[in-house]
Amino acid sequence: MSKTPTKAKAQAAPRGIRQTMSDLHIWTGLLAGWILYAMFLTGTVSYFREEISRYMRPELPAAQALPDAGQTAERVAASILRQAPGTPQMRITLPTPRNPTASAFWRLPADGQPGAEAGARRRRGGGAFGEGLFDAATAERLHARATTGGDFFFRFHFNLHYMPPLWGRWIAGLCAMFMLVAIVSGVITHKKIFIDFFTFRWGKGQRSWLDAHNALSVFGLPFHFMITWSGLITLMLMYMPWGLQSMAPPERAAVRAEMRSFIPPEQPAGRAAPLRPLADFVQQGEQRWGAGGVGAVQVNLAGDANARVIVTRQQAQRIATTPHYLVFDGTTGQMLQAKDASGPAATTQGVLYGLHLGRFADIVTRWLYFLVSLAGTAMVGTGLVLWTVKRRARLPDPDRPYFGFRLVERLNIAAIAGLSLGMAGMLWANRLLPLEMAQRAAWEVHAVFILWAAALAWALLRPAKRAWVELLWLAAAALALLPLLTALTTERPFWRSLMDGDWVFAGMELSLLALAALHAALAWRTQRHQPRQRPARKAADAPRRPAPVAPASVTPTPAEPVPALATLPAGESA
Amino acid sequence: MTPAWHLLMFTLCLGAFAALALGMERPQETLLQRPLGVAASRAWRLAGWGLLAAALWLALAAPGWTRGLVALSGHTSAAAALVLLALVLRERWGATR
Repeated sequence: MSKTPTKAKAQAAPRGIRQTMSDLHIWTGLLAGWILYAMFLTGTVSYFREEISRYMRPELPAAQALPDAGQTAERVAASILRQAPGTPQMRITLPTPRNPTASAFWRLPADGQPGAEAGARRRRGGGAFGEGLFDAATAERLHARATTGGDFFFRFHFNLHYMPPLWGRWIAGLCAMFMLVAIVSGVITHKKIFIDFFTFRWGKGQRSWLDAHNALSVFGLPFHFMITWSGLITLMLMYMPWGLQSMAPPERAAVRAEMRSFIPPEQPAGRAAPLRPLADFVQQGEQRWGAGGVGAVQVNLAGDANARVIVTRQQAQRIATTPHYLVFDGTTGQMLQAKDASGPAATTQGVLYGLHLGRFADIVTRWLYFLVSLAGTAMVGTGLVLWTVKRRARLPDPDRPYFGFRLVERLNIAAIAGLSLGMAGMLWANRLLPLEMAQRAAWEVHAVFILWAAALAWALLRPAKRAWVELLWLAAAALALLPLLTALTTERPFWRSLMDGDWVFAGMELSLLALAALHAALAWRTQRHQPRQRPARKAADAPRRPAPVAPASVTPTPAEPVPALATLPAGESA
Repeated sequence: MTPAWHLLMFTLCLGAFAALALGMERPQETLLQRPLGVAASRAWRLAGWGLLAAALWLALAAPGWTRGLVALSGHTSAAAALVLLALVLRERWGATR
């Protein structure tokens, strides 16, 4: 690692693969970094999407012992049929330990018929449908505040927002492809990936940031590669549709049926025939797949002679997302179709998609998913900050950086600190918005972006370091005060959650406090950070004086080497 | 996979990365203030890889081996991070003594 004349010769030599990979890594990382950071953070919290949703619906009861799945299905179906007797299709999602409430949606009969609901939602493509949450034991309709819950973060992660989902998925996919390039180029560029495995140099400015970025990247490398590639595979039919497009529609439908279940209703026979008890069908599912093996029950044309009951397997039982279901004749009880296998291509896609979603994970594995994903988020964040730290040292005039530097610096603040603020803001809106407000769920989401935009404005108006510190402290406060806000505005204060052993609420609030502490620590360190003195700055001051006097006293004497303006020792190429 | 399985898995991974660290020069400087010989370093690294092999065996022996492998991946990441954290803290707090 010595700066000898051979280094000068090496610089004249053609750029090696490590250097080109480094350039590629920096470009792809930078261009996609801000969106990738948002995708990573919202994806990370999505591993606890159900828990976040419950936290945002404090009116729902805390978890209790789950009653028999078959009984639950029957009671919920009966409840739906009382409200919408002629419904052609209803789907009941059975309660699980993570989500102990039954939910359902059902297609409403045409307007004017009994059961048509005023103000029912309309699906794109026509057809109104009703939806609701049901108590698992009594099938009583539960009412909770209007909110999208954790589902917002999950959907934002691949759809983004304020744009057609297709656009969002294309942007997310492009960023994911950039990420894949960044991962591979990053590994190639990281020369001493094994030797430097446990290297971390504290308090060394740029090198510390680089070490942090490397550690976060390398330790989580299996996850980061898996999550990026599987994310692209999830939407592979969108990004590479030509194989499917080359098929005729019936074959296309058959391919899709290998990947997702979709069983539309038959034509109604017009003859009434009683539906067999749903508990029988659920029991057959549990016989086949084990206790808790049934995830959902769909009933087509209840009360008609052509009724069908489709029993779908619980996703948490398996990794692959390929469809496993049983189709029964609803009136005779005969099993018409059993799907529990898909072809190798669909299974491969299903396993990769399943690994991405992590729905199979037990609580420990889920926490590992969350923590390593959080490390991935920090990997992207440290990469973005590293870009500015590295170049700040090389700025000819640190008070007047070039436009690109200013842009990256401000976008970093908004993308990183601003996002934390926005996400915490959604929880604040969840607690504070009036329950009867129109468009309440939409306004909770607007709150995220309003705060995020405000953070961007703050980042543009304030000096960069102050903006970082102020926004990080604000985010820390917003997170830390949520338990208090919950205690003041809901019936679920943290002391009751702890005493009752309600680990969804208690766990959420402890995690919020931990994240608040993390933001506070970052704010504190940033606040206390003093850039190292660079004596060469005095030479740079000279041109700014009005009189073009060459102050001989401040030019570095030949005996002093020009201080390291971040010329990297040979061997460090990032 | 029971909590006990997870605990055993994490312990194996933690031991593995601690052993691997002890087989590398920079961590040896941090922890022992002197580099160990080539033979000792190789022995530590062998022990580390051996423990990782044991962790792999435990993953495959789990009731669902695919879930076991996923858990293994998570535990190795977490264990490596913890070993690094310990090294960093040792260096920071050791230096002030």
